[in-house]
Amino acid sequence: MKNGEIIANTRIQGDYYRVVFHAPEIAASAQAGQFVHVRISDRLDRVLRRPFSIHRVEADGSLEVVYKTVGAGTRELAQLRPGTVCDLLGPQGRSFTTPGDDVVPVLVAGGYGAAATYMMTRQAVPKGVLLLGARSKADVILVDEYRAAGYDVRISTDDGSLGGKGRVTELIDGVLHDFAGRKLRFYGCGPFPMLMALAKELRRTGQGGELSIDHVMCCGVGACFACVVKVKADTPEGWRYARACSEGPVFDLEDVYVE
Amino acid sequence: MADLTCNLGKFTLKNPVMTASGTFGYGYEYSHFYDLARLGAVVVKGIRMTPSHGNPTPRVAEVTGGMLNAIGLQGPGLDGFLHGEHYLPFLRKSGAAVIVNIWGTTIAEYGEVAAGLEADKAGIVALEINISCPNVKAGGVAFGTDPELAQKVVATVRKATTLPVITKLSPNVSRIGDFARAVEAAGSDAVSLINTITGMSIDIETRRPRIANRTGGLSGPAVKPIAVRMVCEAAQAVKIPVIGMGGIMNAADAIEFLIAGASAVAVGTANFTDPYAPVKIIDGIDDWLDRHGCKTAAEIVGSLR
Repeated sequence: MKNGEIIANTRIQGDYYRVVFHAPEIAASAQAGQFVHVRISDRLDRVLRRPFSIHRVEADGSLEVVYKTVGAGTRELAQLRPGTVCDLLGPQGRSFTTPGDDVVPVLVAGGYGAAATYMMTRQAVPKGVLLLGARSKADVILVDEYRAAGYDVRISTDDGSLGGKGRVTELIDGVLHDFAGRKLRFYGCGPFPMLMALAKELRRTGQGGELSIDHVMCCGVGACFACVVKVKADTPEGWRYARACSEGPVFDLEDVYVE
Repeated sequence: MADLTCNLGKFTLKNPVMTASGTFGYGYEYSHFYDLARLGAVVVKGIRMTPSHGNPTPRVAEVTGGMLNAIGLQGPGLDGFLHGEHYLPFLRKSGAAVIVNIWGTTIAEYGEVAAGLEADKAGIVALEINISCPNVKAGGVAFGTDPELAQKVVATVRKATTLPVITKLSPNVSRIGDFARAVEAAGSDAVSLINTITGMSIDIETRRPRIANRTGGLSGPAVKPIAVRMVCEAAQAVKIPVIGMGGIMNAADAIEFLIAGASAVAVGTANFTDPYAPVKIIDGIDDWLDRHGCKTAAEIVGSLR
């Protein structure tokens, strides 16, 4: 039943790691923005799986996840050695759409959100821009990978230790200026407050896009209604809760409800 | 191959393993993993008259040996359930035995939901009355922690339906046997227990509760000994069948409940850990019965020495 043998599991920097699974069936159908739901071990003191954005897949059946050790589950994952087999569900969730040939993709990532947008660089469309925001230099990851994929990487940090000092959304004006006259589409993934700020900024500037949003997830298949996010709806309140795991995690900006 | 047929008095299931309400969506969500008709029954997430948003997020937190949830009974409402493509119409096509969990914010609403389902009941084998959800302000556990109110809800539903009625009991009471007897007297055809146990978890860095509702229902392996004890007490208190649940992760756990007096079991949190858990448990019960020379699952029910 278990289908994800670990091939490599190494530290990138600080608390950030990269784990490579051999999971050919999932790798064969994974699209940008989808996730795998990982049962890290069989122990029953931790009953929940952990969802991870699929960072990249290769033709040899490998599937890569980039993660930060933020709690007991991810710390346990960081201890697993090659040869260990995990139980993976996936690919789960709705992916980013493929932009048209004439559209420049602008990826907007906060922290390890950069792991989720990377597969967009594999699309057969013009090479785009990555706007990468992080708290500090230590939280800026995957820059070399994006540059190797031909992306224009622009960085901001809250403390100014790398790139411009400020919020990642402050980099948008520069992109609009540099690509004036081109069609753009924005693809965002990061912490919830960042995504809401991004949604407001894109609406203010009249840009379209898609956001990968979720909250603490549980079943990963649409059954438990834990990971819901507000989307616009024909209800008295103007919104309804949509399940990030099955109706998302990627939502069109048009549908996202911003408070 | 032992005979797994499960007799619940007013109705019979092909085996004693069902899914616990709220952990299995409306069946559709798990239908990509296996044939839902393999289950004893699919117990759907709670249905009331109108659609409901549920609680703010975060709604769940993992804790040692389980999880807290305060989903708050988000749902499509009766009409959405009866007519929505991925709800009852899908379940009818799947061939699953369907148990509909119902709730309301007033006693009258429980009756209205039961009546609405009675009018369109093809494929439904029973109703499960939810008087034990700890996460909604009105309804839910407010009816499940007062024996007189519990009886009124059961009697109201009883009048509104010809379907067998199961009452899902709350563990957040001191004498579970009294509640089991009360709903039996009011006309319930079976009891199911336990619902989740009210709990709380705090993030010590932010000093805030880890779920937005402050408190939530604890489920998972941590609650199993409490559930086994309560199932055992309830089974001794009433003549109607008992459906046992609470932290069942594998076949051994399920068998423990059967021995304690449950005629059937429900698998809840384990669905999140492993989507195949219920069918693995069915197969595991069958294996165990074979290894122990038992011809039927029924013969181990209440066999506690």
